Amino acid sequence: MKGPGKYWRIALGVVVIAGLIVVPLNFNRYGLFILSQWAVMTIAAMGLNLTLGYAGQVSLAQGAFVGIGAYAAAIMTTQGMPLAAALGVAVVLCFAVGWLLGYPALRVQHHYLAFVTLAFSTLAFLVFRNEDWLTKGIYGISNIPRPTIFGFATNRPLPFYYVCLGSLGIVSVAMWWLIRSPWGRAFLALRENPVRALSLGIDTRRYTLMAFAIGSALGGVAGTLYAPLTQYIDPVPFNLSLSLDLLMMVIVGGAGFFFGPFLGAMIAVLLPEWLRFTEGYYLMLYATAVIGLLIYSPSGILGILDRVLAERRSKAASARRAVAKSGLEAAP
Amino acid sequence: MTTVLEVSNIRKSFGGITAVDGVSFEVREGEILGLIGPNGCGKSTLFNCILGQLTPSGGEVKVDGKVVTGLRPSELNRLGVSRTFQLLQVFPKLSVRENLILAGQEHQGNMMSRLFGPSDAGLTEAADRMIEFFKLDHLAGETAGGLSYGQQKLLDAAMAFMGGPRLVLLDEPAGGVNLSMLADLRERLAAINREQRATFVVIEHNMEFVMSLCSRVMVMAEGKVLAMGTPDEVRSNAAVIEAYLGH
Repeated sequence: MKGPGKYWRIALGVVVIAGLIVVPLNFNRYGLFILSQWAVMTIAAMGLNLTLGYAGQVSLAQGAFVGIGAYAAAIMTTQGMPLAAALGVAVVLCFAVGWLLGYPALRVQHHYLAFVTLAFSTLAFLVFRNEDWLTKGIYGISNIPRPTIFGFATNRPLPFYYVCLGSLGIVSVAMWWLIRSPWGRAFLALRENPVRALSLGIDTRRYTLMAFAIGSALGGVAGTLYAPLTQYIDPVPFNLSLSLDLLMMVIVGGAGFFFGPFLGAMIAVLLPEWLRFTEGYYLMLYATAVIGLLIYSPSGILGILDRVLAERRSKAASARRAVAKSGLEAAP
Repeated sequence: MTTVLEVSNIRKSFGGITAVDGVSFEVREGEILGLIGPNGCGKSTLFNCILGQLTPSGGEVKVDGKVVTGLRPSELNRLGVSRTFQLLQVFPKLSVRENLILAGQEHQGNMMSRLFGPSDAGLTEAADRMIEFFKLDHLAGETAGGLSYGQQKLLDAAMAFMGGPRLVLLDEPAGGVNLSMLADLRERLAAINREQRATFVVIEHNMEFVMSLCSRVMVMAEGKVLAMGTPDEVRSNAAVIEAYLGH
């Protein structure tokens, strides 16, 4: 039963990836922008999913890291430096700041930690808005160039969409690797039972800081794509509401599930567009849908799927046990 | 015979209450020391002080002659000191096998090899050996949270042995475990003690379990050591009968 299931999943994966490459070929500029935004937000949400979903550390600062990445990209590329250099700076900077932001998590947890990270989020926003010499304040930075990759200019929407999609692919593979490594298991241990983890030699301190640092670095990666995507940034998109949006993407998609952020970002970015025909009602419908979903399944959309699969597994297991038991009773 | 664990004059107070009041003892290599005493006499607090879960208010702990007071539990564990818990402490959403793999993974390689090296590195095999040894075969793929209390206790004990520890502190391993499973557990512990020269300190209220498994027994009362000796000596000690065993 396991074999064919695996092939179905691979087939589904191939179809989805092919769809993401082929279908947008005849999308208009706006459609491509939305889809690129989905890819970028998925990367940021994957980072938060690592920190929150796998390692269990609440963060309301992911939007600030997207901002740090976006400003690094905007400032450096408008000075003529390549986007790759900006990416390197953003990743190192966000990793380091994320590491430092992890220290409070060693002392406080849950909603207390949420407040600490919320304060950081506000702090970052104030820096973006008030440090005019660096960020041009509320006037923002315009004319952010799109990169040329291996000689291909990505100015037009379609090539830049492929840049975003390709980045999402690379990040996904890296994340898949990470959560399947012993580190991924240690992150889960941190979430599930930190006291036990500590007694098994798991350096919970180092893994907590790593969960923050890596998750934040992915926020930075998303930011470096966001700036050339919109080609203009000001502080507003990186205020607390972005952090809350990203948190919602992770929770709605399914925190701690690999594909949670993909679905969550899809709902957060695409659903409002699809609901646009309802005119003024779309935000209300959207909010109602999210509330309904979370009441029905607190573990998000993938939580529903997981529940169905778990039920099926336990039914199969008890059937196996029943067979084994009747076999024992039949034996002389 | 070498001394594995040396505890000298450990004290721990919480506000005005002194939970552990100047406890000293030694555990020799390959020994199984029982630790008994009434509820609230400071047994678990003593364990937590030895293991770095609590910082003692005074005193010193040595493992293999090395002072380990103030080390974090994770550091102590990597030095070969392991523990089980009185209350259930497994990773409920992970499978039995994954629980054991987690219990072993930090004992090999370093942070870098754990990220870039093979994700398994023989751990699944080691976990499966432990699963077989503790007779958990039929449960290997089940999530730990779905196991019965007794089965989770067994898993908890199995996890403590994954890193190949030198010294294991077991906090009430028999609590809530049914009789046949208890006999199994005792036999497993004795086997590990015999074959791997692993040294144990066992907190337990089940007298039969303690008296049959342990080579020496230490009795605590009100934070202090009341008596120390072979199971027979302790059983006939008047002070112990008065404070704990009853007439």
